[in-house]
Amino acid sequence: MAHRLRHAVPLGFAVLILMTVVIAPFYWIFSASVKAPQEIIARKPTLFPQSFTLEHYDKLLGHSNFPTYLQNSLVVAFGTMVITVFLSTLAAYGLYRLRFPGRNLLFRVILITYAFPGVLLLVPLYDMMSTLGLVDRLVALVIVDVTLAAPFAVWMLQAFFRTIPQELEEAAALDGASRLGIIVRIMLPLAAPGVASIAIFAFITSWTEYIFASILIISDANRTVPVGLAGIIGQYQVDWGLLLAGATVTALPVLVLFGLVGRNFVEGLTAGAIQ
Amino acid sequence: MPSPTVANVRRRVVRWPRVSSATLIGYAFVMPLMLWLAATILYPLVASVALSLQNIKIIGSTGEYVGLENYSRILESPRFGEALQRSAIWVVGNAVVQTVLAFAAALTLKQRFVGNRLARIWIILSWIVPTVVVVIIWRWLLSASGIVNYALVNLGISSKPIGFFSTGDTAFASVILINSWRWFPFNAVIFLAALQRIPQELYEAASVDGATTVRKFFHITLPSLRPVLFVMGLIGTLMSFNVFDVIWLLTGGGPSGATTTLPVLIYETAFKRYRLSQAAAMSVTTGVILLIFAALFLRFLSPPSDTDEE
Amino acid sequence: MRNNLAKSIVLLVIALLILPHMPATAQEKVSITFWHMEQPPYRVERFQTLIDEFNAANPDIEVKQEAQNWGEIYTKAPAAIAAGNAPELLFAIPDFTPILRDLGAVQPVEDFVAELDAQHKFYPAAVAQYTYDDHTWAVPLWNMAHSLWYRKSVFEEAGVEVPATWDEWLAAVETLTKEGQYGIGVPANKQLYTDQTVYDLMINGGADEIYNPDGTLRFNNPQTVEAFDMYSQLYRFSPPDSPGWTWGEAEACFANRTCAMILQFTVITTYDTQAEGDPEDLGVAPIPYKEGVETPGTISYVNAVMILTDDPAKQAAAKKFISFLLEPENYGRFLNAEPGLYLPVTEDGSTAESYWNDPLVVKYKSQVEVMLDNSTSGRLFGFTGGNTFPSIATISAQNLLAQTLQMVVIDGMSPADAVEEGQALMEEAIE
Repeated sequence: MAHRLRHAVPLGFAVLILMTVVIAPFYWIFSASVKAPQEIIARKPTLFPQSFTLEHYDKLLGHSNFPTYLQNSLVVAFGTMVITVFLSTLAAYGLYRLRFPGRNLLFRVILITYAFPGVLLLVPLYDMMSTLGLVDRLVALVIVDVTLAAPFAVWMLQAFFRTIPQELEEAAALDGASRLGIIVRIMLPLAAPGVASIAIFAFITSWTEYIFASILIISDANRTVPVGLAGIIGQYQVDWGLLLAGATVTALPVLVLFGLVGRNFVEGLTAGAIQ
Repeated sequence: MPSPTVANVRRRVVRWPRVSSATLIGYAFVMPLMLWLAATILYPLVASVALSLQNIKIIGSTGEYVGLENYSRILESPRFGEALQRSAIWVVGNAVVQTVLAFAAALTLKQRFVGNRLARIWIILSWIVPTVVVVIIWRWLLSASGIVNYALVNLGISSKPIGFFSTGDTAFASVILINSWRWFPFNAVIFLAALQRIPQELYEAASVDGATTVRKFFHITLPSLRPVLFVMGLIGTLMSFNVFDVIWLLTGGGPSGATTTLPVLIYETAFKRYRLSQAAAMSVTTGVILLIFAALFLRFLSPPSDTDEE
Repeated sequence: MRNNLAKSIVLLVIALLILPHMPATAQEKVSITFWHMEQPPYRVERFQTLIDEFNAANPDIEVKQEAQNWGEIYTKAPAAIAAGNAPELLFAIPDFTPILRDLGAVQPVEDFVAELDAQHKFYPAAVAQYTYDDHTWAVPLWNMAHSLWYRKSVFEEAGVEVPATWDEWLAAVETLTKEGQYGIGVPANKQLYTDQTVYDLMINGGADEIYNPDGTLRFNNPQTVEAFDMYSQLYRFSPPDSPGWTWGEAEACFANRTCAMILQFTVITTYDTQAEGDPEDLGVAPIPYKEGVETPGTISYVNAVMILTDDPAKQAAAKKFISFLLEPENYGRFLNAEPGLYLPVTEDGSTAESYWNDPLVVKYKSQVEVMLDNSTSGRLFGFTGGNTFPSIATISAQNLLAQTLQMVVIDGMSPADAVEEGQALMEEAIE
């Protein structure tokens, strides 16, 4: 008993610190976003709101295009997710389940794509997109975001593809299943937790992307949430209430999403561990 | 890269009727991704090299071929070297802070406790929100009238509010910590996944041998994590080297250039100083430096075979 | 397959987003897009009201607005021009116009300005900031000028008079600095707001000319050094986070009573919504000057609109829209998208009922009058002394005034050394 307690106290303490470090800042902006303007900028901060108002949310949702930004972000993130899952799963299958000369080199080349500064790619990519007529199109963001997400996603998949017993595949091959059939019917279901993880990874990568979205998108109707929110920051006045409401509303959809599928992400990543 | 263990290979890999086509099929699976990456990275890269050999100042204007002039210019000017140095500090600072925090978090979350599942999910909160939100949060918390300063002053730690972004050192430290705050939970989850893949028997056997916790960490945990640490070390370094938005939105590279890392310098050169070709030359040079780093990293630190290790 | 699926989803959503905005008869219309950098939602909303009225009155024209960000427009506008998807109309400040003009994208508008001048009488200084190289490059829309903002009650309580000279100013700032209150808030960010406040001091220290008449730089002179010295003294009484400030943080500092005074275009909206909102207590004054300086003043920006399209039909439509905005019955409502910030640049606009009738303008009438008065002594770096030097655009784009200030207040250089270094940077910038 004493032994367990000796263990439990520091553990509880560590968990508490950890969660405070991550979550307390969020509580702070959420709670401030419902305070009256005077209370938000008051010199003496209040831990619990002394006033309650939804005026910032009203301003945000009623007088700006925030709902549109949300919609756009969802479309881009969803598109990025689908394409990333498709490309990465194929590549990961090739790299981890097949053996052919040069695959190690290919794997390294894929990883090394992160060596090139995103800022460097900005101008030529803008050029390219404008030649293709894709400037101010959400498709352009999907194209870029897949590039940002896919290489890492390939690596994330390795643990899953490795843990699937080879015999399953051999058996299916002997039964005359096509390779694609094997992937779809055997590999995918078994690697499902991993695929879920990279899907979420791709979604989040796209959801949080800022630089390319700020340059490639021109019209307000096509803006994504990060850029729209940065716009609301404005320059002439800082309306903290509006900003904090914006930050909250921006965080909310991913919170809900993560509340629903977050388990898959974390458990998905750790699933390969069970064996 | 020849595979070292042929026997192992035979056991693990399916043999399709025509062996000679295995290569083709393998490439066919990897090719869509490779083509995608080539279109979005290789093409812009070539375009950047072309750009760096001209003297274009502002996007949309024309220039002429000037050879390697831009390269000699950036190597002469102290700006590039200073920014490179800052980038090095940035990368090392982030690596140290994030690794330590991520390890601590992963080891904590590996334990059993009430609410463990929830904690594992929600620890990642700071990673799933856009950078802009991260920036708003921390500007708000760290402002002179913000909660952090309020706490520091009222707890008697500081006699007056601190301007976290007002001096070079504090600004740099703040930006590193904020970026680490954003990324360490993600690393923690990756580490946690890897930790759970370590067979429990190893620890049990070590316990029987009377190994201490520290010894177990260095002899079992760390070696088992090597493949993960390798990829995280490589990609983490490259990704964090290229971090731009957090710095740009928080400090704009200031105060007085103190947080101007290479990506910030490149952006500034291209879009604020209007020296597009010079910026391209900087980018290409940066890319080469990172490639050399990656090559060295792969040469000296890679596990026997990255696509193959158990 | 999936690729197509994603594409179709994207296209579907785009279509859904665009369709409601497009009447069925859209084909026949001349469509005009205009970009501005007035992103706060209520400004966009006010602009939209006017646009809707215009579109209703002109069924053959469809005007659309896109709010952009000053932080990105310097990248985005040239990129859009290069890619051939620039807007027909783009708002401008004087030091932004030369950059686009160098790309050959800006249409000269002197004839159109003359036409408008005949109807509404532009203040000559407004047109001057956009006139160089034999042409006028943009149509002035409004003016903005800095003033010194304070609270009368705070001054009274501390026994401080409104400062007129630098000595009085420093003394006042020192007296007002006490527990929980900073005597003044001045920024030190490498950003436009800092450029502006630095230039406020340069004007009032007798260093308003950055260029010699022959176009060489004369930034490095004793008056400039003194202005930077004065700034660094004020900065000592400024909140510790002021190196990160843009306009908004300064206003917030004033609104929550942490800063006793600030230099700002306007604080009226913030003061009214986020602070006491008592017009009797809000003080506004000209910026103090160094004793002996003959022409004190303030920084002022004439904001204007550039015509980027070379299509005659679109040009005509764009001009029609600009004329609409400058009509006195619309102009006041346009300016009051941010009451008290945008000041009229035409004579008939200055007296227009639509301007003075706005509830906030009525409430803060005395303040607005002082602001208008201050703006008459407004100047802008690079556009003084009857000369305009377009190369100021690159100096301004890099915020070199602010950078020079940072050398003093952040790096601890002496003002003289910093100003010398600053001139070297400017020379490098315009080479």
